[in-house]
Amino acid sequence: MPPTDQLSKISVEDLLRLKRAERPAAEFWTNFERELRQKQLTALLRKRPWWQELPQFFARHSYLPLGASAVLAFTLVSVKYYTPAQPTQAEAAPAVVAARPPAASITATMALPAAVSSPLVNRSEPVTPAPSSVAAAVPSSLATAELLPALIPPPADETPSARSIAANLETLKQSEPELVNAVMGNRLSALPRGQYPTAPAAELASVPTGATRRSRILAQYTDHPLSPEPTAPAYVRERLARHLGDPDISDRISRIGLKGDQVSLGLTLRL
Amino acid sequence: MNLSRVFTKGIITSPERQQEADTDLSIVKRVQAGDVAAFDHLILKYRERVFGVVYNLTSNREDASDLTQEAFIKAFQSITRFQGNCSFFTWLYKIAVNTTLSHLRKNRLRTFFSLEKLHEDGTNAQILEQLTDKKGADRDADLRELQEKLNEALQKLSIPHRTVITLFEIDGLGHSEIAEVMDCSEGTVRSRLHYAKQFLQGELAKYLRT
Repeated sequence: MPPTDQLSKISVEDLLRLKRAERPAAEFWTNFERELRQKQLTALLRKRPWWQELPQFFARHSYLPLGASAVLAFTLVSVKYYTPAQPTQAEAAPAVVAARPPAASITATMALPAAVSSPLVNRSEPVTPAPSSVAAAVPSSLATAELLPALIPPPADETPSARSIAANLETLKQSEPELVNAVMGNRLSALPRGQYPTAPAAELASVPTGATRRSRILAQYTDHPLSPEPTAPAYVRERLARHLGDPDISDRISRIGLKGDQVSLGLTLRL
Repeated sequence: MNLSRVFTKGIITSPERQQEADTDLSIVKRVQAGDVAAFDHLILKYRERVFGVVYNLTSNREDASDLTQEAFIKAFQSITRFQGNCSFFTWLYKIAVNTTLSHLRKNRLRTFFSLEKLHEDGTNAQILEQLTDKKGADRDADLRELQEKLNEALQKLSIPHRTVITLFEIDGLGHSEIAEVMDCSEGTVRSRLHYAKQFLQGELAKYLRT
């Protein structure tokens, strides 16, 4: 290093400019390029987390006004959670009961809990006069004896659509009884009130014990005799046959010991 | 083309930079259209400059290599978001500087030098000649010492001050470009530059002759 007095003017800028001369050699760029290519491929193949896509998504859909989106969201939330003003239970219950004729007491007692306790009815309809007007229009004998079987199962009775169907059916019965009998001529409508279809004892006795509940119920409602359970499909039988040779199964079998009239089981605890 | 906006912001300061920005923008549009290979042109064009910035900020060649690659990958991944509001060069610098600053903040306490060889060429030969009159191994040792002192002095600066002086004095960016890259005002850039130079003058007084 020369003595300080021999130096000509050298500034900080001159010294910093020396930093430009610190450059990597040519072979450095060969490695750099190879590594960059690998990292680029990795980055292309790697799936980015969803939260990193959010800014891009909003940037892409920035044409959608924020206000419109807010209004849309508010509307959707309002529709979902909208509960209209409903009268109190003390006001609602007498209205339902009073609207019904005394003969339709069964219908009224069925409708009353629905009007009070069903969340679906309470949410969508405060107290609809439709069921009471339907019940009032229907003659008492028809309403109780013939309409009730058609309204089975009871939960359907609670819905407005079921009540509407029942009302339409009743009107149709009055105007076109033959057509109704032809259409609804099944066991349910033919049964008198309160009697539900029961299978004969002989038929029930013929049902094999291994039959499923579904088969037994189907057998009651069809004229056909109860058919035996269908055999297992071919692929199931193949799988069973394939697994019969498994050492696991033979191991399980070997753990069952038969000695006289005693059966012993070998158990293994795996913790 | 959003060049009018770029002119308004005063980022492109010379006709050469303007032409460069036009060329870059056409390449970027090709990449955005799906021509992934076109991005290689941008890598080849800017890799040395980006590496230089990162290296001068970190004083470590391995870190600089990794961070430069990371900056290019980030730029590649988010190139669809580049709208042309500034030049691609400024945008890429911004990514590289932010990546480096993030790395430096994470590893604030872990600083060690891994310096590149100081190449003697026409521009710096005269200065080096003045700084040492020795020959052979002694000269190399002097230059090595000078290089280390210079890097030490830079590393003593705070990260924002180091960034400003690196971009201005070593990479030759203008005040407005640095302000754009660093997301600050030109006044802040000038102030930081002034303070950084004062600090370096004190640190490198041994080598200065005024």
